[in-house]
Amino acid sequence: MANLELKEYNQQTSTTKTRLSWLWSEYSVIIAFLIIFIAASIMSPRFLDINNQLNILMQVSIIGIVALGMTVVMLSGGIDLSVGSVLVLVGVISVLALNASGSIFVAILTALAIGSAAGFLNGLMVAKGRIASFIATLGMMAGARSIALYIAEGGSVSGKVSGFTAIANSDLWLIDYPIIIFLIMTVLVYVLMHKTRFGRYVYALGSNEKAALLSAIRVDRVKLGVYSLAGLLVSVAAIIETSRLNSISSSSSGVQYELDAIAAVIIGGTRMTGGRGKIIGTFFGVLILGILNNMMNLMNVSPHLQGFVKGLIIIVAVLFQKRE
Amino acid sequence: MSADPFMIMKNIEKSFNGVPVLKKVTLEIQRGEIHALLGENGAGKSTLMNVLGGVHQPDNGLINLNGEAVKMTTPRVSQAHGISFIHQELNVVPDLRVYENMFLGSELRNKIGFLKVEEMCRQTSSVLEQLGVSINPKEYVRNLDTSYKQLIEIAKALLHKSSLIIMDEPTSSLAEHEVNRLFKLMNNLKNSGVSIIYISHKLKEIKKVCDRYTVLRDGEVVGTGCIENESLDTITKLMVGKSISEDRFIHGHSFGPVLLEVNHLTSEGLFNNIDFTVRKGEILGFTGLAGDGRTELFESLFGYRKNYSGSIKINNQPVKIDHPSKAIKAGIGLVPKDRKENAIIKDLSVVHNMSLSAMRNFEKFGFIRDQLENQIFQSYKEKLNIKVHNAGITIDKLSGGNQQKVIIAKWLEVNTDIIIFDNPTQGIDVGAKQEIYHHIITLAEQGKAVIILSSEAPEVLKICHNIYVMYQGEITARFKGEEATEDEIMSYATGSKREAHQIG
Repeated sequence: MANLELKEYNQQTSTTKTRLSWLWSEYSVIIAFLIIFIAASIMSPRFLDINNQLNILMQVSIIGIVALGMTVVMLSGGIDLSVGSVLVLVGVISVLALNASGSIFVAILTALAIGSAAGFLNGLMVAKGRIASFIATLGMMAGARSIALYIAEGGSVSGKVSGFTAIANSDLWLIDYPIIIFLIMTVLVYVLMHKTRFGRYVYALGSNEKAALLSAIRVDRVKLGVYSLAGLLVSVAAIIETSRLNSISSSSSGVQYELDAIAAVIIGGTRMTGGRGKIIGTFFGVLILGILNNMMNLMNVSPHLQGFVKGLIIIVAVLFQKRE
Repeated sequence: MSADPFMIMKNIEKSFNGVPVLKKVTLEIQRGEIHALLGENGAGKSTLMNVLGGVHQPDNGLINLNGEAVKMTTPRVSQAHGISFIHQELNVVPDLRVYENMFLGSELRNKIGFLKVEEMCRQTSSVLEQLGVSINPKEYVRNLDTSYKQLIEIAKALLHKSSLIIMDEPTSSLAEHEVNRLFKLMNNLKNSGVSIIYISHKLKEIKKVCDRYTVLRDGEVVGTGCIENESLDTITKLMVGKSISEDRFIHGHSFGPVLLEVNHLTSEGLFNNIDFTVRKGEILGFTGLAGDGRTELFESLFGYRKNYSGSIKINNQPVKIDHPSKAIKAGIGLVPKDRKENAIIKDLSVVHNMSLSAMRNFEKFGFIRDQLENQIFQSYKEKLNIKVHNAGITIDKLSGGNQQKVIIAKWLEVNTDIIIFDNPTQGIDVGAKQEIYHHIITLAEQGKAVIILSSEAPEVLKICHNIYVMYQGEITARFKGEEATEDEIMSYATGSKREAHQIG
């Protein structure tokens, strides 16, 4: 009798154990976020200040929007190294379009067109040219930066139309526009990935490309869509980046954005080889990176050491995800 | 005889997450015998072998080897005791050479630590010679046929001087003459004192090559004894708990008009000048050896391969198919072989795998209707008897038979008039096989044209109205299902007989 009870008890603990491990594997990034958030609020009283909180969100909104596109690319089994360079190219050309036309509307349209065209070109190379995405986007990364440098003659270009800066520097009930745009984009990409055919196809393709093709999915078109979407999101980020200071530097803007975006996606739990991951994960991944940056600034950590901490966090995050 | 068994696993118990998988299982192996381990998928065969191979630790029970109690704590310990496990999925590295694969992890080195390549090649050659094959030890494994890859695994076991070899479905990717070679080899091994545990679903093979058997059902031993004294029927009954008929499933038939007509279909090096027609309500079987070109032929027809010439007509209308999505529009569906590589998307849930090829059926204003998806899946679950508790789990958690049923549901949902099944019962247990046959027949009765590709002649004999045999990319024989025999099919499939073109 006692034996039987013992057995039942064992069974129960093992089910709670599996339930806990399920909770961890599904929501590990949110749990990590909460831990870091609580730790940060204990370590620095200024952290919880509403202005600081909004500041963090403001700072992550650009990388956040880029990371959303990166998530989609990585879910499809690819990678996009060109986001930072394309962001600069889009910024430079749209400022020129702004100054030439005097219309903010034209500038925005130009930005969206250039961004998605660059993404589409990436997609063409990957889907039709069958070039590994790492190589194709590495080429685009070098090419786009170079063209931006050439057009801007290595320097910065500034907007000459008043009102353009309002895009990134206005707020709605305290909340800055970039934050609102980031949140809206997150919701849109979430809906796209989880409620539409396109999203389902991206997961299928990233998980098993051959089976996806044999399931009659137009794999090459989905890939074109994936990279174009990433380019489009980059151009949204580019508009915010340019509008924030009313100028963009062809040499120093957008540098290492691809690494920050990839880091956020990986911390968010998306698998490098595709097929598995969540938009929500990336959202919290971006926030984790933002809080870390903010904390290190509040605690006066040398900027030269901040990269080390970031690197450590990425590796620890991936180590923990391996435990599933 | 059983006084001094070579290996005993006694009262082995094992449970996962509180679910018992093995219940007091006892298995005795004599020295120099071939012992068949039988049971349906999920009966506990692999778990038992994994316990023996040191992959899992038993909760209870002990293992005796040569009269001594041993603990298989890791796969390495098990190997050190002379036990080799040849898995169903081949563990060879395609980008290494043959001898490098043979010595992987136990390379021969000289005093300074450099590899003794010539010595390894020499040993490899001699072991392969023993097996009756001549492969250059320096050939890359990726250039070899699947059956040779299998032989490399067996050669590896010989090289390590194993005294007990576990073979998990070794013949599933072998052609007939290769199977015979394997059996000869197994008999040689047996005579030299090596014991073999042989796991297979193919009862005829077991009857041919095994000495004794043990049948597992739901984690319990339900029978053990000498193969000679048992008929196949009793063993099947033990495995599934009920008897299963080996007769033809289809009898009278009436066909509708011609649905698919293929003329002069040719693809360089794969298949040549293929002509055939399929009528509504007909089940047409294609069989042959591995590498006969039938899979490539139907992958071309389905638009997965593009480099072919010839004409395809559906309902008398010529169609051009260069992508699977066009095949669906034209009314052709394909359930591919090698489920794991070609059919399932392992990161998607069971429901999402079902709906993947027919997304437009589940959409409203461009958005997916989750509820409808689940409802439709429930109806397939009942219709096809899919055993899954929570349809939201990823598909790789299901057993092979249930995965295949989900894939069939996926193509039923696409609802094409012509449906092609490539090796539809690959790696599936007897019970699920029968169910799948019945669903295929039901499809034909509903007026669909069904094409079945299978390397198992008994399978096409059982359920096809007409049977075509292929050899090296050509159709060498056309039979009516009720007139064909296994022997005759084999003689055309191996190329020893050849029929003049155009009959029936």
